[in-house]
Amino acid sequence: MKPVSGPPVSALLASTAPAGSADPAMPARPSTALAPPDAQAPLAVAPARGAWSLSLPENASAHGDRIDALLASSHRFELALAAVMLGWLLVAVVRFRGARKVAPDGGTRRSRAWVLGLALGVFGVVDGSLFLGSESYLRDVLWNFRVPTEDPRTVRIEINAHQWSWEARYAGQDGTFGTKDDVVTWNDLRVPAGVPVWVQLVSTDVVHGFALPAFRVKLDAIPGRVNQTWFQAAREGAWEVACYQHCGTSHYRMRGVLTALSPEAYAAWLREAGRQAVQAYDADDTAAHWGWAWRTP
Amino acid sequence: MKPGALLKSLWTTDPQRVARQYLWGGFLFLLVGGLLAMLIRFQWAWPGQPVPGLAWALPESKGALTPPTYTAVFTMHGLLMIFFAVTPLLFGALGHLVLPLAIGTPRMAFPRLSALGFWAYAVGGALMLASFCVRLGAASAGWTAYPPLSTPAFTPGLGQTLVTVAVLCVGVSAFLYGLNFVVTVVRCRAPGMTWGRLPLTVWGLFYGAVLNVLFVPVLAAATGLLLLDRVAGTQFFIAGAAAVGGGGDPLVYQHLFWLFGHPEVYILILPAWGMVGDFVAFFSRKPAHGYRLTAGAMGAVTALSGAVYAHHLFTSGMAPVLGRTFMVLTLLISLPAQVMFLNWLMTLWKGSVRLTSPMIAALATMIVFGLGGITGLALGAVATDVPLHGTLWVVGHFHLTMGAASFLAVFAGLYFWFPRMYGRSLHEGLAKAHVLSSAVLFIAVFGGQLVAGYAGQLRRLYDPYQYTFLAHLLPLNRWTTFAAFLLGAAQLLFVVNLVRTLGWGRAAEPNPWKVGTLEWTNAGASPVVLRGPHELSQPEVQQQLGRDWIGQAEPLPVAVPVKVADAPEPSGVEGAG
Repeated sequence: MKPVSGPPVSALLASTAPAGSADPAMPARPSTALAPPDAQAPLAVAPARGAWSLSLPENASAHGDRIDALLASSHRFELALAAVMLGWLLVAVVRFRGARKVAPDGGTRRSRAWVLGLALGVFGVVDGSLFLGSESYLRDVLWNFRVPTEDPRTVRIEINAHQWSWEARYAGQDGTFGTKDDVVTWNDLRVPAGVPVWVQLVSTDVVHGFALPAFRVKLDAIPGRVNQTWFQAAREGAWEVACYQHCGTSHYRMRGVLTALSPEAYAAWLREAGRQAVQAYDADDTAAHWGWAWRTP
Repeated sequence: MKPGALLKSLWTTDPQRVARQYLWGGFLFLLVGGLLAMLIRFQWAWPGQPVPGLAWALPESKGALTPPTYTAVFTMHGLLMIFFAVTPLLFGALGHLVLPLAIGTPRMAFPRLSALGFWAYAVGGALMLASFCVRLGAASAGWTAYPPLSTPAFTPGLGQTLVTVAVLCVGVSAFLYGLNFVVTVVRCRAPGMTWGRLPLTVWGLFYGAVLNVLFVPVLAAATGLLLLDRVAGTQFFIAGAAAVGGGGDPLVYQHLFWLFGHPEVYILILPAWGMVGDFVAFFSRKPAHGYRLTAGAMGAVTALSGAVYAHHLFTSGMAPVLGRTFMVLTLLISLPAQVMFLNWLMTLWKGSVRLTSPMIAALATMIVFGLGGITGLALGAVATDVPLHGTLWVVGHFHLTMGAASFLAVFAGLYFWFPRMYGRSLHEGLAKAHVLSSAVLFIAVFGGQLVAGYAGQLRRLYDPYQYTFLAHLLPLNRWTTFAAFLLGAAQLLFVVNLVRTLGWGRAAEPNPWKVGTLEWTNAGASPVVLRGPHELSQPEVQQQLGRDWIGQAEPLPVAVPVKVADAPEPSGVEGAG
C-alpha cells in the first residue's frame, strides 16, 4: 500500500512513490462503510488496547516521548487529586450523615491554616512540576529554533493552508523559495526521517490549524502572518495531517498525509520533482507563485 | 385579560417576576440547545445517517445532517447553551430571585433595567430562533465565530448576521443585570448586612456580575466590529486573499474574544461556587468552613480571570514571553480554586450531613467541577496543551466545568429555592433521581469525550472517521452517544416533577430547609441583620429556641453575646485570610 496524495491535482507528483517508504503494518480496515471512495488504507496503527484506554495517537516524533511522559505524569497527578477529592467527599458524607454532634464553628485558626497550607503544597508540587516539565520542553524543543537553524540537513517547507487543503512548497535544488524549481504538493508532505523539518505557515482565506497528531505538533495558520514550528520524524512511515480549527463546511475533509522517507529516497524524490517543476513552470500563472522569502527568526 | 394588563405583566420590574420570565426563557433554550447536542452526538455515532424524525426539517437529505447543517448545529448549540440557557438561568432566574431577598431589599437598585435586560434577552433569543429559518441557515462559524470565516466572504447569508446581532442583544442584557446586581449589592443591603454576612451565593453572583460589567463590553466590541465587517464593508478582521485593501488582523478578534470568553467561563461558574458553598453549610448544619477564605478565593479567581485568557491562544504562534506569562497565570488560578474546594470538604467534616436534593446536586456539582478542573491542568501548561489543543479533551474539560457543573448548580438552586419562587415544593424523590442520574451520565458523556480527545479526536468534525488515526474511536463515540441520549431522557424526570408540582403540588412550608438566610426568614420588609448566613447548630440558639437554626435578622430572646464566627469587616473583602 503506498500513500497517494488525496485529490488528484498534483501532476507534479505523478512520479511513483520512491522505494523505502516503509509503511507501518496495517490493521484491517474497520468495516464502517463510512470511508469516502478516495480514502486511503489506515496509516496509523490503532492502539493495541483500542479506544478504551487513555492513549495518545501513535508517536512518530523524535521528541514526542518527552511530551508523552509529561502528560503521563500529569495523569498521575489528576488521578491522585481525583481520588483524594472523591474519597474525602464520600468518607465525609458517609461518616457524618445525620450525625448528632456538630462542630458549631467555621473552623479554627488551625484548620484554616491547614487548608491554606495543603492548597499551597498541592499547588507547589502539581503545578510546579507541570510548569518545570513544560518549561524544559519549550526551551529544548518547541521554541528552540536553534536546532533547525544550526543543522545543515534541515528541510524547510512553506505551507499555504486554504479551504480545504494543505499546499506545501519546497525550495528545490537551489535552496531558494520563489524560483522555477520550487516543488509544490497538495495534501502530501514528504520529509526525510531523522532530520529537523522547519515549517513556515500561512493561510490565504480563513484560520486553519496545522496539526500533526503523531508528532505532537499544532500551529494556527492565520491570514496575514507567518507562523513557524519544527519537528523531526523518528522513523520512516506515513501519518496524517489534520486541521484542528473550524474552517468551513469541509473542515473535516482537510486531511493530508505526511510521509517520512529515508534521506536518500527524499533527495531522489526532490530532485525528480524539481526537474518536473522546472519543465512545467509558467511565469504567467501568478496564483501558483505564492511563496515568500524564508523568514529567519 | 385586557391588552394593557398583558403588556403590564410582560413589562415587569418586580425581580421575582423577572426571575420567572428568565426561568422559562432559559428552559426553552436549554431544550433547544440540548436537542442540538443530541444531533451532534447522533452524527458522531452514525455519521451521515438520516436522523429519525428529522425529515421534516431536512427534506433534501431525508433527515441526515449535511456538513453545512452540522456546522450550524454545533455553532448554535454552543451559543444557545452559554448565552441563552445557563447564564440566564443562573443570573436572570436565580439571581433576580435570590439576590435582592438575600440581602434584605425588596427591589433591585434599577428595577426597570431588570425588565429591559430581560427583553433584550428575549429579542436576542427570538433572533437566534429566527436564524434557523432564513436562507443558508443559522450561524455556522463556531460559537467563537473566528474571522475571516465569520465574515461574509466565507459565511454569507443572513443567519450569521442575525446571530451576531443576537449575541449583541444578550450582551446588553448581561451587562444590564451585571450593573444592576453590582449596584444592588453595594448600595441596597439591609442595615447590618455587612460584606462579611453575605451568603456565599450572593458573593458568587456579585463577582460574576462584576465580570459581566467589565468584560461583556469587550465582547460587544469584538462582535460590533465583526458586525461592521459583515454589513458595512469594513475590514477589521479580514486579511489574506479576501482583503481587498490592506486588510485587518484576524488575531485581534481572537484576543478580544477570549479577553471576554475566558472570564465568561467564570461568570458561568462563580454563582455555582457560591451556591455550593452555601448548600454544603446548610445541609451539614454548620457554618461554612473558612467563609472569608472562600469569599476571598472567589475574589482572587475573579481578579485573575481576565489575566489568563491567552491560554486559548497557545497554538496561535504567540511570542514565547506571552506563552510563559499566561501559562504561569493560568496555573496560578488553580490555587484559589483549591482553597475553595478544600473549604467545602472541611465544611462537610464534623457536620451533620443531610442528603436533600439541593445537597446531592451541590455535591454532584463539586465532583463534576473537580474533575473538570483537574482535566484542565494539562491544558494550562503550554507543552501539554499542544497535543490536546482543539481536541475533544478540551471539549470534555469545559463541558464538565461550565456545562455539567453550572447545569447541576442551576438545579441545586432551583430545587432549593423553588418553594420561594412558586410557593410549592418539588417532589424530593424525583428531584434526587434527576440530579443523581444527570451527574452520573454527565461524567459518562464528558468522560467519553475526554478519552476520545486524548486519542486525538478533533473538535467540530462532521465525520471524524475520515481520519484513519481516529477510525477506532467509533465504538467509544457510540457508547458516549447512548449515554448522552440517556442524559437527555433523564431530564424528563425534572419535567414530570415540574408539571406535577405546578399542577397539583403541595404548598411549601415557609422555611422548608430550616436555614437562616433572609430569603427564608425575613418576614418584615426592613430587617436589621444581626449575624452571618450560616449560623447553624449554635449552642445558645439551641438552648433558647430549641432549634439548630436562627434567622439572620432574628433577635435572640435573651441577649447573650453571640459568638460570631466571622466578624464583620470593612467593605472590599479582597485579602483572603
